[in-house]
Amino acid sequence: MDGRVSISELEKVYGEGAERTKAIEDLTFEVDGGEFASVVGPSGCGKSTLLYLIAGFLDVTSGTISVDGNPIQGPGTDRGVVFQNYALFPWRTVFENVTYGLEEDGVPKEERQSIAQQYIDMVDLSGFEDKYPKELSGGMKQRVALARTLAYEPKILLMDEPFGALDQPLRESLQDQLLDIWGDLEKTVVFITHDVEEAVYLSERVMIMTRHPGTKKTVSEINLDRSGSREEIVTSDAFADYKNTVWKSLHEETQTEVTL
Amino acid sequence: MDVTADANPRFDLSSALSLVKSIYSLVIVLVLWEAVAQLGLIHYYFLPPLSDIIMRFVELTLNGQMLYNAYLTLMRAMVGLAIASVFGVLVGVLSAQNDLVDWFFDPIIKIGYPVPIISLIPVFMLWFGIGDISKIIMVAVGTFWPVAINARDSTRQVETKLLWSAKMMGTSDRRLLWRVVMPAAMPGILTGFQIAMPLSLIITFVFEMVAGGGGLGALEIAGVRSFESTQVYAAIIAIMLIGIALDRLLRMARGRLLHWT
Amino acid sequence: MGYATSRHIEGLPAPLQRVAGALVDWIPLAIVVVLWDLISGAVVATAILPAPGTVAGKIVELFVTGQVFSHLYISLFRVVVGLGLSIIAGILLGIGMARSDPVENFFDVFLAMTYPIPKTALVPLAILWLGVGTSTAILIVFLACLLPIVLNSYNAAGNVDQNLIWSAEMMGTEGRDVLLKVIFPATIPEILTGIRQAVPIAFVALVSAELIASNQGMGYLILTSGQIGNYPRMFANIVVISAVAFVAVRLFEEVRERWLVWT
Repeated sequence: MDGRVSISELEKVYGEGAERTKAIEDLTFEVDGGEFASVVGPSGCGKSTLLYLIAGFLDVTSGTISVDGNPIQGPGTDRGVVFQNYALFPWRTVFENVTYGLEEDGVPKEERQSIAQQYIDMVDLSGFEDKYPKELSGGMKQRVALARTLAYEPKILLMDEPFGALDQPLRESLQDQLLDIWGDLEKTVVFITHDVEEAVYLSERVMIMTRHPGTKKTVSEINLDRSGSREEIVTSDAFADYKNTVWKSLHEETQTEVTL
Repeated sequence: MDVTADANPRFDLSSALSLVKSIYSLVIVLVLWEAVAQLGLIHYYFLPPLSDIIMRFVELTLNGQMLYNAYLTLMRAMVGLAIASVFGVLVGVLSAQNDLVDWFFDPIIKIGYPVPIISLIPVFMLWFGIGDISKIIMVAVGTFWPVAINARDSTRQVETKLLWSAKMMGTSDRRLLWRVVMPAAMPGILTGFQIAMPLSLIITFVFEMVAGGGGLGALEIAGVRSFESTQVYAAIIAIMLIGIALDRLLRMARGRLLHWT
Repeated sequence: MGYATSRHIEGLPAPLQRVAGALVDWIPLAIVVVLWDLISGAVVATAILPAPGTVAGKIVELFVTGQVFSHLYISLFRVVVGLGLSIIAGILLGIGMARSDPVENFFDVFLAMTYPIPKTALVPLAILWLGVGTSTAILIVFLACLLPIVLNSYNAAGNVDQNLIWSAEMMGTEGRDVLLKVIFPATIPEILTGIRQAVPIAFVALVSAELIASNQGMGYLILTSGQIGNYPRMFANIVVISAVAFVAVRLFEEVRERWLVWT
């Protein structure tokens, strides 16, 4: 399937001279087309930097990032980012935010409107088309951001702690909504979070990162039976085992940091 | 524009009460003014009765003098402000987008902004005379700084993630300015206009007072020179009305343009 | 310093880098001065645009002969008194309106009516009342500076954290003391912001009043220098008053930063 992300010997350095800091070092990782992969790590481990590098917002210092074998060159419409702080255009309505990418692509107006409506319906925001972002709650804003990114149909969704600012019940319902959408649309998802439970619940694979400089520590395959309800899944032994494995690996990392 | 107020049956009474509360002091002062002046407790020259001032205001309005002088003042202030807006936004946005432009203008703005711009009036009289052109250029130069600085700072402060969002959705670097930077910076740019607007009037009034050539400032000074204090007061009423109207207008424009904020 | 300029001086040692950076930063001003020098006498007659050297010489002369001091002194006196009065009245009015409904009801309408009047339009009125001279200038400076100070202290005093007031009351602070010990100190940063906005306004108001209604002061000196055709002296005085205004703003910012260490 299309949408394979290959990261090879990636290095990212910020600043120069005395202020030079290595954010990411020697990171090699591959996400298959259509896979849901999460990246967890302590704060400051460079996981957001990694996401922005894949998105093409930042330039790599060395190493390569390719999509389906082609090295990326800056941002492109094959990848779509969902930011933690939504980054919606405040001067555009919900509807206009969702049509933005289609406008840039030169899609004719009528087609634009039907596509946008389809994705607004998908994230359950029908009736809010003409609201401005300031009139929406955090959860609704994040759904608009998701619809906006889905609307121009990127193969790869890059999500930067998208539910980090929301409270627990809202988070859970958005997680389920995201899983449904992922199941329907067959996108590759790279999901950044610091929440182990969220990572295990959502993903097929979880990469744990170390910090200073950030690099890949371990990768855990998550083979959960996702046919049941949320309750069945999160209370299962398998879920607990996966959570423990990831948590231990992550905790070792924090522990080392503290003793340092 | 309080929509809920209409639904409130006690709306009329309570709003009438709050109106009384908020303007009773003004009424007292105005009545006292009229009384004190009519009784001759203060010399007519210093404080003519309010009724005389209003008569004078009406007279000056009916014979067209007030409107003509108001037109002169407004025309000078607004044309100057319009010129400053074009150049100010241009320089401000370019400074924020281009290192070389910023390098050139930053020290000039640092030095130019604190100059009490009014002190340049004699220079403009020397260079461009005392006519409309001179006044307009003076207003343009004086109001350029707040417009440019606000445009620059608000353009600089546009959130990186908004720019990134647009780029990921396929906006090219060239179009980024119109699609994202300008709309995002618009509140700050309008703030610059709101600061510059009263400044344009200040410069125009003072220039008119110093150099004449008609306008409300000149009308006031003529009143002082001919010992007709009612004319001074009448002109100030006109200035107040213009000030209130322009302030309202700018707020309305801001509300219209920035209903999304 | 912009990124473009910083790139070229990276090879230098750190202290030199800073000096070089400062120099690079101020090159544009040098360009302006050089242009000014080139234009003066060549494109525009020196009478209309005296060369920068001439103006600089005149500034030195103004100070050496002491001609400028009496005018500068009177101008500073007017600014300091006008601004000082507006600070006192502005704080009292602002806090009073924020914490007392009767005071707010009384003054609100006057503020709403006078707010959109450019205060320099009141110079002729001040002439009617006070004649030409120092009192008129002080009145205009006072009126022009009053509003930013009132508005800032009003907003701040209205928004003082209720928990602060409650905790003071809990510890035994009562009545009027709450104003003095809690509300006023909590409002100080915004009051200083208001004064910061007022300082440049004070100089604009001062020069306006002095251009129109004075026989002394920097504004008067600038105007009369122009009228008698002594243009180098006119430009020199503009530079002097601008420098004074600039220094006043910087000085105030310096003081504010020292004072507000706790914010």
